Amino acid sequence: MNDVLVGRALAKRFGQTVALDGVDLAVRAGEAVAIMGPSGSGKSTLLHCLAGIMKPDSGEVHLLGQRIDNMRERGRSALRRTRFGFVFQFGQLLPELPAEENVALPLMLGDVPRAQAVRQARDWFGPLGLHGMETRRPGELSGGQAQRVAIARALVTKPAVVFADEPTGALDQTTGEETMRLLVEATKHNGACLIVVTHDPNVAGWCDRTVEVRDGHLLAGGVRA
Amino acid sequence: MNLDLTWRLLKGGGRKGLLGTWLTLGAVAVSMALLLFAVAANYAFEARADRSAWRNPVATTGVQEKGVQEKGVQEKGKAVAIEASRHDFVRDKDITVVDLGALGAEAPAPPPGLARFPAPGEVWLSPALKELAEQLPADQLAARFPGTKGVLGEEALLYPGELIAVVGRKPDAPELTAQRSDDWIIAKPPVKVASLAGEPTEDAEAYQVLALIAGVLMIVPLLVFGGAAARLTVARRDQRLATLRLVGATPGQVVGMTVAEAMIVALAGAVTGTLAYALAAPLLAGIQIGGGPWFVSDLWPSPLVLGGLLVAVPLLVGLSAVVGLRRVVVSPLGVAKRETPPAMRFVRVVVLLAVLAAVPLLSRGNAVGPIAVVIGLAFLCVNLVGPWVVGIIGRVTARRANRPARLLAGRRLVDDPRSAWRTVSGVAMTGFVAGFLCLLSPGVFNSTGVTGQLQIAVPADQTAAVAEQARTRLKEAGITATVKPVKKVVAVALGTSADAATVDRARTALAGLVPGHTPTTDADDEHFGVQILADVRAGTVVVLSVSFLVAIASAGITAASSILDRRQTYGLLRLAGTPLEVLDKARRAETLIPLTVMGGGAILVGAFCAAPFMIGAVNSTGVITLLLCVGLGFAGVIGAGALSRPLLNSVTADPAPRPD
Ligand SMILES: Nc1ncnc2c1ncn2[C@@H]1O[C@H](COP(=O)(O)OP(=O)(O)OP(=O)(O)O)[C@@H](O)[C@H]1O
Ligand SMILES: [Mg+2]
Repeated sequence: MNDVLVGRALAKRFGQTVALDGVDLAVRAGEAVAIMGPSGSGKSTLLHCLAGIMKPDSGEVHLLGQRIDNMRERGRSALRRTRFGFVFQFGQLLPELPAEENVALPLMLGDVPRAQAVRQARDWFGPLGLHGMETRRPGELSGGQAQRVAIARALVTKPAVVFADEPTGALDQTTGEETMRLLVEATKHNGACLIVVTHDPNVAGWCDRTVEVRDGHLLAGGVRA
Repeated sequence: MNLDLTWRLLKGGGRKGLLGTWLTLGAVAVSMALLLFAVAANYAFEARADRSAWRNPVATTGVQEKGVQEKGVQEKGKAVAIEASRHDFVRDKDITVVDLGALGAEAPAPPPGLARFPAPGEVWLSPALKELAEQLPADQLAARFPGTKGVLGEEALLYPGELIAVVGRKPDAPELTAQRSDDWIIAKPPVKVASLAGEPTEDAEAYQVLALIAGVLMIVPLLVFGGAAARLTVARRDQRLATLRLVGATPGQVVGMTVAEAMIVALAGAVTGTLAYALAAPLLAGIQIGGGPWFVSDLWPSPLVLGGLLVAVPLLVGLSAVVGLRRVVVSPLGVAKRETPPAMRFVRVVVLLAVLAAVPLLSRGNAVGPIAVVIGLAFLCVNLVGPWVVGIIGRVTARRANRPARLLAGRRLVDDPRSAWRTVSGVAMTGFVAGFLCLLSPGVFNSTGVTGQLQIAVPADQTAAVAEQARTRLKEAGITATVKPVKKVVAVALGTSADAATVDRARTALAGLVPGHTPTTDADDEHFGVQILADVRAGTVVVLSVSFLVAIASAGITAASSILDRRQTYGLLRLAGTPLEVLDKARRAETLIPLTVMGGGAILVGAFCAAPFMIGAVNSTGVITLLLCVGLGFAGVIGAGALSRPLLNSVTADPAPRPD
């Protein structure tokens, strides 16, 4: 099979709260999956378990056939750095770094020499409509522009999977749609999978598939028939 | 102003808000303790100057010069006593010997520390001298002071453990009439005085000026640091306050509450700092300056000054808080965007140069006030230029960085050069002096000294006679020595192998041989020069230590607050797999790079400037002390940064970081 990321029977509780209760989800190569559901239903928890940010209480997560949920924190951290990309709602850019260095940072963390890292980072600005924004600092960018810089940063390491938790949550409707389009297009163009948590059906509309989470269960669409 | 609401705000600030409060409290406590030290040091020198004034007689006007009693001379100008002083030596310590004679029939009021005016033939010793005289064989010390009558009180002493002898004499005794040697350091000629109050010596005044300079050196970075600490509370809260403002609190209420909060915390910090200083005072009293340590009571400023500081520090913190709050109050949408800071202008450098150029013009007179003002101004200007230089260092670091940690550190320095300058300013400002002094060696003085030889200055026509008397006295004491009259000096050679005990026996045998003159070795003659150099060095080490303490506290606080400021970003970076070590390394480099460049640079430049004055070997104790001080300082700065590592771990541990 060509599933890139597979979660099996994932369960997670916080004290009395059951956040995930046996979730199965498989994501195919190049696929974009939207995770929807009411607030508190466990969307973020699911994303965190899949991305190796959190260890599930039970269940397994496999990336390209390799089990990742039982790795040590150091290994998972390296995995997140090299194989995954992340886009969060806001506040993920370092305020003192110019946009291009924010994008180049993950490359530099992977020992790419700085000049090359920055050159590679710059290549992302044009396609994402950020021309001329290379040396601006996050405080000098609009919310939508900052999110596009974050998208560039998530993709610059050529990850296998991009995780996005409400990436357009802090943006207005139009900017949100535009940002989402860029996120999906750029991810696909790179051959990466995309997993997006969102409240917005329009945003979900950009994806290939939508799964619904309710009280820690998937309603439908987790594993393709 | 709603105090109840303030209190709830303080308590309800959450764990992170509370941490900010603790940081402010700690910072104010450190500032207060060091401020007390800087202020108290000045009072300590003043106390010494006052206590030792009685040994620096003020001649009565018009009486002494020609011995003619002018008509209409006021009663208080009437001479009641005659006073002379000189230094004697035992081992490598100096003894102050004060000769006193009453002029009238009635005994004048005694100097402080003496129960009554000493009658002719009576000797009063300081406690330490009495103890030493009892310890050493009589022919080495005690025999120099026959007729010991009592012990001097503390009010007469420059410092605990000082060696003093007060000798009562007849006013026409040779000691009180003979000319003294022209070496004014070793001896002061007899002077007729109207009272024994005296006045502070020039030396004491010089020390006071030096203490003032040291005080300014310590206080300027302290104030900068304390002010920054105050803004820390505000920074922690501006989001909360912006919310309050949005729900309709008036600017006055918002300011009132925050300032009240900052001041409550600052007062607690000031009290804590005072307690800490009280605990440290006995240790600080052990610092040797001017030949000895301090009375602990010298290190306490007067209650009025202490009270003033306890009021002023919270007020200053409150003021800083107001300044920090302006932004929130002006714009209810308080969460400011971070933008590229306006480049700091070269104008700052021009201002510094202008002030430095003006220094020689302004400091012509030697009044203490203007000197302090000028020095203060100069340091404030250095403070203006400092951040500018830090910014340049940051730019260079960022440009040359190839690793992420360096890049982050460089960008942080460019982003907020003031906070880095706060950390390193004291070290940068003191470094030059420290580097300069570490190379200067007391060897400058004793490179030519002859050991085992005593010399006494003698009026030219008496050398032969005095030499003969010296021979007899030494023979009676059983000391073998070659006595030679040389010009105006009688030299007593005891042989280069003579030990300290033999030298002291010879000194004792020769005591009083020439009234008012002390037999001294070459080392004795250099004693005070060496002491001044040692004092300046001790002072520098103290100021450098304080600077490093400020740097350590400041590094700790900057590290913690920068983590708190960026907790969301750091948290998200960690989620994205950024190793915390990189963030940690960046924070360390952020302090160490400017500290090394500016502090280390200042020390090296100082040492470089001292090189031409170096004679012979490098002064190894000086270098070792400096290296130790610098090593501990750097270690402290790194340690303070490392302390916030758990904080970094805890703020980034939350998998779903949100702005609180
Ligand atoms: N660190 C935590 N400690 C305790 N409970 C938690 C924690 N994280 C999540 N929860 C609980 O787990 C449940 C699922 O949370 P999760 O964040 O996954 O919801 P969500 O679907 O992302 O909600 P939203 O749309 O509001 O972001 C919630 O009931 C939440 O209160
Ligand atoms: Mg969520």
